[in-house]
Amino acid sequence: MTEALLLASACTPKSLGDWTNLFAVIRDFLSLSLFSLGGGNTLLSEYHHLSVSEYCWISSNQFADLYALAEAAPGPSSMLVGLLGMGAAWREGPGWALASAVLAEVAILLPSTLLMVIAALSWNRFRDSPWRIAFERGLGPITLGILFAVGLKILHTADHGVPAYLVSIVVCVLTLRTRISPLWFMAIAGLLGGVGLINR
Amino acid sequence: MIDPQGTVSPLPAPDAPGHAPLLAPPPNHRQLFFGMMQVALSAFGGGLSAWSQRIIVEEKRWMDNTSFLTGLTVARLFPGPNQINMAVYVGARFRGLSGALAALAGMLLVPFFLLMLVGLAYFSFHSLPLVDRLLAGVVTAAAGLALSMGFKILHQYQRDPVALLLALATFGAMAVFHIRLIPVVLVAGPLAMAWYWPRGAAGPGTDP
Repeated sequence: MTEALLLASACTPKSLGDWTNLFAVIRDFLSLSLFSLGGGNTLLSEYHHLSVSEYCWISSNQFADLYALAEAAPGPSSMLVGLLGMGAAWREGPGWALASAVLAEVAILLPSTLLMVIAALSWNRFRDSPWRIAFERGLGPITLGILFAVGLKILHTADHGVPAYLVSIVVCVLTLRTRISPLWFMAIAGLLGGVGLINR
Repeated sequence: MIDPQGTVSPLPAPDAPGHAPLLAPPPNHRQLFFGMMQVALSAFGGGLSAWSQRIIVEEKRWMDNTSFLTGLTVARLFPGPNQINMAVYVGARFRGLSGALAALAGMLLVPFFLLMLVGLAYFSFHSLPLVDRLLAGVVTAAAGLALSMGFKILHQYQRDPVALLLALATFGAMAVFHIRLIPVVLVAGPLAMAWYWPRGAAGPGTDP
């Protein structure tokens, strides 16, 4: 895959101690915030690109790990960004890692929060506006396309080998067809990994 | 609803002004903070939207169901995680920007604290062979969940060939040609909006 090539080609972690790097990272997360359509999951492949390929904070396997942990942990989606922020500064020590996690989460939430405040206070003015209707109808299919691309990206990031892909597909089908809690799937798949049936 | 006095008030459903007394007085910042914390704690097993409806509408009676559903629509429409947007919506409707931040902080505080513990544990121990083997399994299940996201909303567009074409073009741009998200949305978004612009006839000449 392309990630492997990118990793092989001298990818050195960008240190956040350097102010220009820090501002670049904050700017990236701030601007992504307004593109988190469909509840934020549309950003997953961008997160991967930034943290693995561009800034080299974590490996592709670690990205998959953090995605899984963020899915398993209670609370709203998008908390993955906090874990990525933590990974970004882990080399500098746990204190910096925590600060970086908070900063990343604030950066990804701030712009969309401010926009949402404006929306909440002025909804009646634009609820029947053609812009609102066109936005809602038009961005739906695009979100659909992005979610499929993101799903495939995560699949390629997480899965290595036939057993892994099989488990993912079974989980996908069961998620769509049943109401079993995702935590069960993760627990069972974790056991399969623990006994060595799924490798990477 | 924005009432005639010009202040933002969640009170009357448009068709039932007489039902206003059923609602509790507007929450202050502290109540917003702890109310959202209660939502977040209740939803630890999942189902955050259902819990916020139960607590905000039924238990605390801050909003009627109509206002709540409007909020959910706005929360889904605008960028940002839906549940977080919903908290921001509730906070903003009662206390403006500072109310939104209070509600947001209440919703995020405990889950984010736990997440940080998870993260510290992960980065400390992920290189242990057993942990790595367990995670190698767990990630395959998580990938299955990620794969299901598109299928979950696919049925909404099954009768709309243009929507499917737009979705396919977007998918292809990202998955095949590796174009980044922001340019994809900036190009495909306006085209799609032009096509779906509300009017009698369908959009002209915007075939993607």
